[in-house]
Amino acid sequence: MTVLLRILLAMGIAWGALAPAGCAVAADAKPLNIVFVNPGKTGEVYWDMVAQTMQAAGRKLNAHVEVLTSERNYRTMQELGLGVVARADKPDYLILSNEESAAVPILEAAEAAGVKTLLLSNTLIGEDAVRLGPPRAKLKSWLGDITTDLTTAGARMANALIGAARQEKWQSPDGKIHLLGIGGDEITPASIARNAGLQLAVAAAPDVVVDRMLFANWTQSEAEKVAANYLGWAQRKGIRPAGIWAGNDPMALGALKAVEAAGITPGETIQVVGLNWSEDALREIKAGRLLLTDGGHFLLGGWSVVLLRDHADGCDFASASPHVEVKTSAITRDNLGSVAGLIKVRAFDRIDFARFRAKPDRCGQYDFSVDALISSLSPPSGTAE
Amino acid sequence: MNGSKKPAASRSVVRAMIWATVPVLLLVQLLASAGVEISSFWSQIRQLDARIARVAESRAELIAEPLWKMRYDQVTGVLNEIMHDETIAAAAVYDDTGVVIARVVARPTVQALTEISRPIAYSNGNIAVQAGRIVIAYSYATLYVDAGSRLGLLLVVGLLGTLATVIAMRISANNFIGKPLAAMMSAIQRSKQDGRAYPADVKSSNEFGQLAQAFNAMQHTTSGALDRLGHMASHDPLTGLPNRRSLSERLVTLSKEAASPDALIAFNFIDLDDFKAVNDTFGHDAGDKFLVHISERLRGTVGPADWVARLGGDEFVVIRPEVGNEAAAQAFARQLLDAISAPILLHDKQVVPRASIGLAVRRAGDPELSHLPALADIALYHAKSKAPGTVAVLDEALQRHYRRRRDLELTIPTAFSEGQFEVWYQSQVDLETQDVTGLEALIRWRHPEHGVISPVEFLPLIERSGNNARLTRYVLTDACRALQHLAAAGRPQIRIAINLPPSELADHSLASELRETCERFGVAASSLELEITEGSLINNIASASDTLRRLRRLGATIALDDFGTGYSSLAHLRRFPLDKVKIDKAFIREIPESAEDKAIVGVIASLAGTLGLTLVAEGIERAEQAQAMREMGVRLGQGFLYHRPQPLAAVLRELAAAGGNRERVLADSPPIAPEFAF
Repeated sequence: MTVLLRILLAMGIAWGALAPAGCAVAADAKPLNIVFVNPGKTGEVYWDMVAQTMQAAGRKLNAHVEVLTSERNYRTMQELGLGVVARADKPDYLILSNEESAAVPILEAAEAAGVKTLLLSNTLIGEDAVRLGPPRAKLKSWLGDITTDLTTAGARMANALIGAARQEKWQSPDGKIHLLGIGGDEITPASIARNAGLQLAVAAAPDVVVDRMLFANWTQSEAEKVAANYLGWAQRKGIRPAGIWAGNDPMALGALKAVEAAGITPGETIQVVGLNWSEDALREIKAGRLLLTDGGHFLLGGWSVVLLRDHADGCDFASASPHVEVKTSAITRDNLGSVAGLIKVRAFDRIDFARFRAKPDRCGQYDFSVDALISSLSPPSGTAE
Repeated sequence: MNGSKKPAASRSVVRAMIWATVPVLLLVQLLASAGVEISSFWSQIRQLDARIARVAESRAELIAEPLWKMRYDQVTGVLNEIMHDETIAAAAVYDDTGVVIARVVARPTVQALTEISRPIAYSNGNIAVQAGRIVIAYSYATLYVDAGSRLGLLLVVGLLGTLATVIAMRISANNFIGKPLAAMMSAIQRSKQDGRAYPADVKSSNEFGQLAQAFNAMQHTTSGALDRLGHMASHDPLTGLPNRRSLSERLVTLSKEAASPDALIAFNFIDLDDFKAVNDTFGHDAGDKFLVHISERLRGTVGPADWVARLGGDEFVVIRPEVGNEAAAQAFARQLLDAISAPILLHDKQVVPRASIGLAVRRAGDPELSHLPALADIALYHAKSKAPGTVAVLDEALQRHYRRRRDLELTIPTAFSEGQFEVWYQSQVDLETQDVTGLEALIRWRHPEHGVISPVEFLPLIERSGNNARLTRYVLTDACRALQHLAAAGRPQIRIAINLPPSELADHSLASELRETCERFGVAASSLELEITEGSLINNIASASDTLRRLRRLGATIALDDFGTGYSSLAHLRRFPLDKVKIDKAFIREIPESAEDKAIVGVIASLAGTLGLTLVAEGIERAEQAQAMREMGVRLGQGFLYHRPQPLAAVLRELAAAGGNRERVLADSPPIAPEFAF
């Protein structure tokens, strides 16, 4: 297995190096200068992968993507963004993430400077949304946003748990299927959306109750702790826990640990779900301990470049909607094989981003599904050799 | 003022005040403090309960979310925060299954803990559940300690307050009470020492100041009154002369003030003669005036060193503290008599005062100096009895006489108890027949040291010592016994006469006692004859005649003794129930030589014959006298010619010897009484 992975990795690198030569189709297009102000920290898996897919797409679509990392400091993020806007040689597009609403001043400055902006992952919310209105209204240069539909993701994860539990008849003595929810936090839109998905799914299933919605700050260790607490409590209450819904993969992994510590076999007497397509999660899925990991939203980086390439080439995504919402996808044991390698080695150059561009007559219509993704993948370079 | 008195005064009052108030004050303070502290303690307990309840509730609120969300470390963290509260010993959080989620223990405690439990309610937009409960165990120990220390503090403060109060009370009481009292006490002490009035030095205007003023005013008044009282006590109010009391004091100082122990002191005891007559004649006011005159004369006569006093009544004393010799003293005494004797005009009548003086001269060093009044009194007695209106000097003979008298006086009770008194009998005879018709009982004192003492000497002593009645009854009893013997000897017709002293005539019980005694001895009262003197009749005519009538009713005969020497009132002979008259021996002695006496006896005999009285001639010593009496019609006689007084046994023997004459005597026995001589 590891040997295979290594081979895949090697192939990916080789493909990446060869790619510019292989993408002659887009070579004639006008080259784009895109700056991405990364709100995350170096080493932060999600944001790293967002930037990597963005750059991989740039390479495929004749766009130079400059990534500036704000290291989770929103002041730094604003300084970086404002610096870009003030440049003499302004980029064609500026990609921002409105985490903590810190991107708003940059958006406004970009408007003044005539730099086109796209919000990624986090768009305007609350007062800002009311004040500034929809994209291209007050802020002409704000082209729109590309976000993930995490509510659906949350619901999908919950439904997977419910389905498994029903199938296995993991009802408690009260006849209900008892679930534990572990959220990252209670305030960020990303967390709220996922949690809402869980609630929606449960609300639709009268035989299911979420005993607790616990919060573990997105971390494995805290998730392990609260999950252990829950399991102990459930035991005392005479509840048979059927599944644990975790807002991200680290928390799912923490829950797994707690389950094992409680003497329960994950995958056999209880199911755990996560989100993020993390390598560890994929490994646990492969081992049959984790039911699924939803996600793939790190691909927003790549998809954003696809949108901007089309926009630059005259096929505006706003002709459908300035708000582009990308569905996430679940990786289960069934589809694990196709993407595992991609994720593992981050061989995003295997993705043929050009294939995802909108048809000239159908601007704004994109299929960013996992199936489309899988079919777009070139074989791992290692295999080719 | 007087330093040693002040604390004593302040101690008593102030201490009493402090003892009376301070315990109450202290008790009230302590009770009040304790009450306040206890109520404060209870309110603190309630506050603590409420506070812990609030803590539990606020913690429950804080804990609800982490508990519900199973962040048990946060639960523990929140729980830990309350452990800063030192009253909380332990706290625990239970979840909805009752399992301890978090438990913190501050310190192991042995004290009783109180627990409070509050539910932990969790709610969000969708649900409201009880996530568990919080239990806090806490202790009142700190409150106990606090309350204890506060109580201690209150106690200390209370004690300090009390101490301060005591000091303040002491100081103020000393100033306001102690000092004025001490000032008054000091004034009283000084006044006690010399009897003079000392004002209390109190300046304040408060009640004590007013009291002190009143006290001072009273002191002044009292002192004046005391001075007057003192003067009155030592002075005679009539004459202003020192009185008997002063005399005692004077006697004490005499020897001290004398120039030398050999200095002679002349003590003159002066008694006015017949002062009673002045009073009786001119009235008491005149008597007083008379005395004032005398005192002025005495004052005028004496020298500056001499001392004059009035002892009371008509008695004066003049002391000359230094005389050259006894002769000079006598000359001085005569000088005094001369001064007294100048006539005084009372109610336009000239009265010539007369006095007797008893003079005693003694050396200043004489240990018997305090007896001077008694010694002078002996001399005075002598003068009065022997030579009124003269000066009698106390000499050895007088003193001997005086001592004998005193000795006899002192042994009278012994004489009675030891039967030293003897009754002798002298017979009365019929001058015609020479038969014994009666016996006169005569008392004798057979003294173990002084021999047989004459009644002349001891009867005045008996009278002075108040033993007249006793002696009379003694004689009466003996006489009754003698009558028994006479009857036994076949001479029941012989009567016995006893002498009644004047005081007995006033005794109403005499008659009944006489009857009882006669009955006791089985003799007839008619065998008794009672001899009285004219003097005793005069002193109390009514009661005397009453007694005489009673005695006569019993059958006793009454004889008037010593007729002719006293008043010899013919009226008496008629007025009183008399049976017999005894002619005093003074008229018999010169008979038959004295024609005058013969004439007097003849008149008396004639009178008696007219009044039906039997006559008895006393003191017949010679046969011519007996002859003369017979010739003058005197029926009975008594005297040495016939018999001397002798004990009953001797009388009985003589009677037995003369038994032959008995039938004749019986034939004409008149009621006869024997002589009663003193």
